[in-house]
Amino acid sequence: MEGIRSGAVSAHHNYMISGMLRPGFLVGDPGSAKGFYLLADFLLPGENTPRISGRFFDERGDMLLELTWNRLMLDPADCLYRPTPYGFHLSKSSGEIILETTTRRFPNGYITSFSGRLYDEKGVLKLDQEGSSARLVGNDSIMLTAPYQGCFGKEKKNA
Amino acid sequence: MLKRNRYMDRGTCLVWVFGDYADYFQNRVTLQLIAKGKALASELGTRVGVVVLGEDIGQYVMEYVAHGADVIYAADNNALKDYDVELFTAVAASWVEIFRPEIFLAGATAFGRELFPRIAKRLRTGLSADCVALEIDRETGAFVQTTPAFGGDLLADVVTPVMRPQMATVHPGIFRELPHDPFALAELIHPPLPNLPERKIEVVRRRKEKARRASLTDAGVVIVGGKGVGSRANFDKLFQLAELLGGEVGATRPAVNAGWAGEERLLGQTGKSVRPRLLITIGTSGALQYTAGIRGSETVIAVNRDHSAPIFGLADLGIVGDADRILSLLIEELNRRL
Ligand SMILES: Cc1cc2nc3c(=O)[nH]c(=O)nc-3n(C[C@H](O)[C@H](O)[C@H](O)COP(=O)(O)OP(=O)(O)OC[C@H]3O[C@@H](n4cnc5c(N)ncnc54)[C@H](O)[C@@H]3O)c2cc1C
Repeated sequence: MEGIRSGAVSAHHNYMISGMLRPGFLVGDPGSAKGFYLLADFLLPGENTPRISGRFFDERGDMLLELTWNRLMLDPADCLYRPTPYGFHLSKSSGEIILETTTRRFPNGYITSFSGRLYDEKGVLKLDQEGSSARLVGNDSIMLTAPYQGCFGKEKKNA
Repeated sequence: MLKRNRYMDRGTCLVWVFGDYADYFQNRVTLQLIAKGKALASELGTRVGVVVLGEDIGQYVMEYVAHGADVIYAADNNALKDYDVELFTAVAASWVEIFRPEIFLAGATAFGRELFPRIAKRLRTGLSADCVALEIDRETGAFVQTTPAFGGDLLADVVTPVMRPQMATVHPGIFRELPHDPFALAELIHPPLPNLPERKIEVVRRRKEKARRASLTDAGVVIVGGKGVGSRANFDKLFQLAELLGGEVGATRPAVNAGWAGEERLLGQTGKSVRPRLLITIGTSGALQYTAGIRGSETVIAVNRDHSAPIFGLADLGIVGDADRILSLLIEELNRRL
């Protein structure tokens, strides 16, 4: 028998990641100037669009893009951000998918799932595709049970 | 008795509810039991947890959190995709052995009635079926499960002094659910799955019975007819009265057996439980097996030609008279006023 896995779950919105619901999570440090991070922010009732931020790299560790709350802020590799009816789609200029989000709506809540593959600045796999859903690689994610209050790298530099 | 193990003290949660999400949104019994479980848990200084088994169960998990669950024990697994009593028994019983809840509740739905005796047998503990009340005895701390006994002639208070968990099934409609709170957060636990037995049943196709009008269990006004209504033609007047009052029609066993109403309208121990604002019960004697299903009603008006009928003991207002005559008068008066 495998071990017990535990976390938190919200009544309003959750992300489906690594086979579990989570109200929000963070991998890496959004405050760093250069490193990888993925922030799936906690949503409060009334909010119905998940807020995703991150700095993503390719498998060689070259920077692809930086996304702040679903908006492409830096795009050195000419990636494409495309909203879809259920979320958004990030792809390389070659068309290869980086990350796709899909939010399902239920009568009283929302669940957002991911697909794609994300790498950090060293080319290490951080988010992997497992069947039809995504799995975080490694144990360095933090669960969020309130909206993210920290700053993002660029803001820190400017401050 | 079960031995202690390393998981026992993890996030103590001693009151469990089985998450029966079949026909969810119509079937509210799990939400009602979460509310009752929370009240029991607070008396015991613990939390209420819900066991949710299946595939793609996220929306139900979130509903249970919104309605008061403190902890969710979940298995989201393709192997559990259809309600299968043997698989669910294996998983629930193994989790009980890991976490050792004190109390385990389920709705007395078709599946709850099939599942809970099996879990109780597996764990060699007791089960009170079709309970109509659940309380913690303030003096002894015992969990008292009130259930109709001896063919329903008595209400028995059952306690399980030694074996754990103390298991009970409860009729839908006995307890009130808590309001939906979108701000709620709960602990989510994915316990390990035991080795699952081979599935013996394959679900080929599901067909849902067509819904009939407003649900009887949610109706604000319920008119019930018993044997004393006398005939099919008289019973049809109950539907007229219900129409005028914006309510639904329920029936006792003899009225159902006589073919005046369908089985889905049966109230009581072997039927549905209702808790309307107003219940008018006509030509019913007040047998315990029937009144078990109407105990939560806010105001009860009884009509019976026998002034000593037990139903008057439960009624807020009693009318001694002939069922058909009172029905006709009520319909006439309401038609005049509305
Ligand atoms: C294990 C078990 C489970 C059961 N489960 C249920 C259940 O879920 N639901 C259920 O309903 N029953 C159930 N029963 C049956 C139950 O015990 C009673 O027999 C039944 O509820 C009686 O129904 P009644 O009040 O309509 O009929 P009766 O008990 O026969 O009462 C009829 C009443 O109508 C009055 N009356 C007669 N003529 C008139 C008139 N012209 N005008 C006004 N009043 C009149 C009479 O005075 C009498 O009080 C169960 C029984 C058993 C053993």
